[in-house]
Amino acid sequence: MRLILIIDDEDDIREVAALSLEATAGWEIVTASSGAEGIRAAANPNRRPHAILMDVMMPGMDGPTTFRQMQQNPAIAAIPVILLTAKVQGVDQRRFAGLGVAGVLFKPFDPLTLAAQISDALGWKD
Amino acid sequence: MIPLPSLVFGLLLLSLFLLGGLTLRLASRSRQQKHELEQLAEALRRSQEDAEQQKNKLARRSDLDIVKDEFISTVSHELRTPLTSIRGALGLLSAGLLGNVDAKAQNLLRIASSNTERLIRLINDILDLERMDSGRAPLKLRRCSIYDLARESVETMTAMADDASIRLELVCLPARDAIYFDADPDRILQVLTNLMSNAIKFSPAGSTISIQIDSDINSLLLKVVDRGRGIPPDKLEAVFDRFQQVESSDSSKKGGTGLGLAICRSIIQQHGGAIWAQPNQDGPGTTLWVQLSRSARASDAAPSSLIASPVQRGEGLILVCDDDPGIRVVVAEQLRQRGYDILEAGSGEELIALAKEQMAQAAQTPSTKEHAPVSPISGILLDLYMPGLSGWETLQKLKEEPATAAIPVVILSVIPPTERTLLAGEAQGWVQKPFNENVLLAELGRVLRTKGEEGPGHILLVEQEPKLAQAILAGFEEAGVRIDHASTLQQAVDRCLRGAPDLMILDLTLPDGDGFSLVDWLRRQPTLRTLPLVVYSGREISDAEMAKLRLGPTEFLDKAKVQPTEVEQLVLAMVHRLRHPAAEPVA
Repeated sequence: MRLILIIDDEDDIREVAALSLEATAGWEIVTASSGAEGIRAAANPNRRPHAILMDVMMPGMDGPTTFRQMQQNPAIAAIPVILLTAKVQGVDQRRFAGLGVAGVLFKPFDPLTLAAQISDALGWKD
Repeated sequence: MIPLPSLVFGLLLLSLFLLGGLTLRLASRSRQQKHELEQLAEALRRSQEDAEQQKNKLARRSDLDIVKDEFISTVSHELRTPLTSIRGALGLLSAGLLGNVDAKAQNLLRIASSNTERLIRLINDILDLERMDSGRAPLKLRRCSIYDLARESVETMTAMADDASIRLELVCLPARDAIYFDADPDRILQVLTNLMSNAIKFSPAGSTISIQIDSDINSLLLKVVDRGRGIPPDKLEAVFDRFQQVESSDSSKKGGTGLGLAICRSIIQQHGGAIWAQPNQDGPGTTLWVQLSRSARASDAAPSSLIASPVQRGEGLILVCDDDPGIRVVVAEQLRQRGYDILEAGSGEELIALAKEQMAQAAQTPSTKEHAPVSPISGILLDLYMPGLSGWETLQKLKEEPATAAIPVVILSVIPPTERTLLAGEAQGWVQKPFNENVLLAELGRVLRTKGEEGPGHILLVEQEPKLAQAILAGFEEAGVRIDHASTLQQAVDRCLRGAPDLMILDLTLPDGDGFSLVDWLRRQPTLRTLPLVVYSGREISDAEMAKLRLGPTEFLDKAKVQPTEVEQLVLAMVHRLRHPAAEPVA
């Protein structure tokens, strides 16, 4: 069973994304509402997520900053991160791709194909 | 015999009379001169005021543009966030993934869901257009096959066509090697799928939509022919405007955004091509035409070989002068990618010093084994509004200095190029900010290539009346001027795409449109929007219409007053004035 960590400051988006992944792919979900909380959740040795789906624009630490901090932490640096952004400008996309994340997906996402898009980005076959 | 005193008196009287007349005439002439001088001074003052007003207006407009860009970008981001929750919730519910709902509720969910999709498309389209208009979506050109792109679009759209019981048919007439052109494939796919999706929406079930590809040496032609209800003649141009649909209920019934064709036109124009709609001749329905240059204008400065290996050297040394370091960095980076070497200057003063020094060094140091030669400056990109020396003053000083006078200058300014004659006669090129990378490269390439040349003028006559056209053509041919003739709007567009004329003579009445739509089209072409224009028309033209018809330098000739045989003389005089602006009096 895959475990996915969703980090987003919007309660509604966390809930919808979680429902979508559970209902369409049967994945297990943990959520966090900020970058700092997300790092703590990812570092939990008992529930280490297989992948992280993270919002870009968050108050406090934004997505890219959180990602860089995760890269500094050997316990979580290997977990693939997919950014979920409402920014669609080309400049932003190139900036995100330059970070070394596993993928960038865009809001508003399609709840029926979100899991498939994540699997594609990560090369998951199942 | 006349007595002597009378004779003396008579002579005296005569000379007094003559003298008086002379004095009177002199007085009147000096009054007239004074009057003319006053008029000149007044005209000068007014034109200075106009320029000042124009300058303020433009500065305000560019500030407004920046605010508008940021606003649109922020709003679209802020709208996306709540839409993400709405789309997610509705999508999960209406797909029945969280349990079944009854039929009425299901229908309401479907309505909410499909309208959410429509709102998302609308936001994406608005953002797309905004990015293209502001030049922030440069084309990624590479060699493409129009056939492959069309086939891919057909494959993408087949599902939608099947749902509507419509057949898509692809016909490719040219030989396999005549279908390649330079383009941004993603953007062309966007246009093709958009045109097909429109055609499907407006076609009756059971009909066939035909996609036809044709080509000649210079251009590719793609047609999308549908058998739908057709577009009324007065809407053929308007459908390319934003939020213009043939029937106001179309956007809700057909699920469109009203921006699709505006986006298509924007993309095709970025490629230096043209797109237009025509009613079918052989039955109901509409044909959408796309014409693309095979060696796209945009690619003149960036042929595919350069794109394959982006960093080449040796295109020339360009001096970029702008007080905004951000603009300098962007321009320098784009030009370096295309093989230009760059020097930067942050002010007019710096530019002049740098240009003089570089030209002096280039003149002094011959190429030796130890030292690479110092290259002379091939061209200057110059901003107009700068603190200290303005662009106009800088240009003046460059042209006064013998060492720098011959360097071609391209103005890079928020002022539109239509104002160029008014403002800077000595610049060889003009690119408006916010600029499109391809336009900048094409304009720079053109200016560097044509440096010092003043080839014979090439005139395009657009006139539907054959006899009249014959008379005008004869006049020019006698004078040894190269002149082409187009008798329809379509032909005029074709000719312009094959090579920009130096001047156009335009009749307003054309069999397949009018002069206004041609001028409108010309205005949207980066390399044609400053084309000198002579409107030769038999109908009365109001001031408002004149404003609509103005391109570059524009003159209006009335067919009732000017004979066809006189057109040649008047036009050649205009060409002469354009080439030698100094010969014209101030007023």
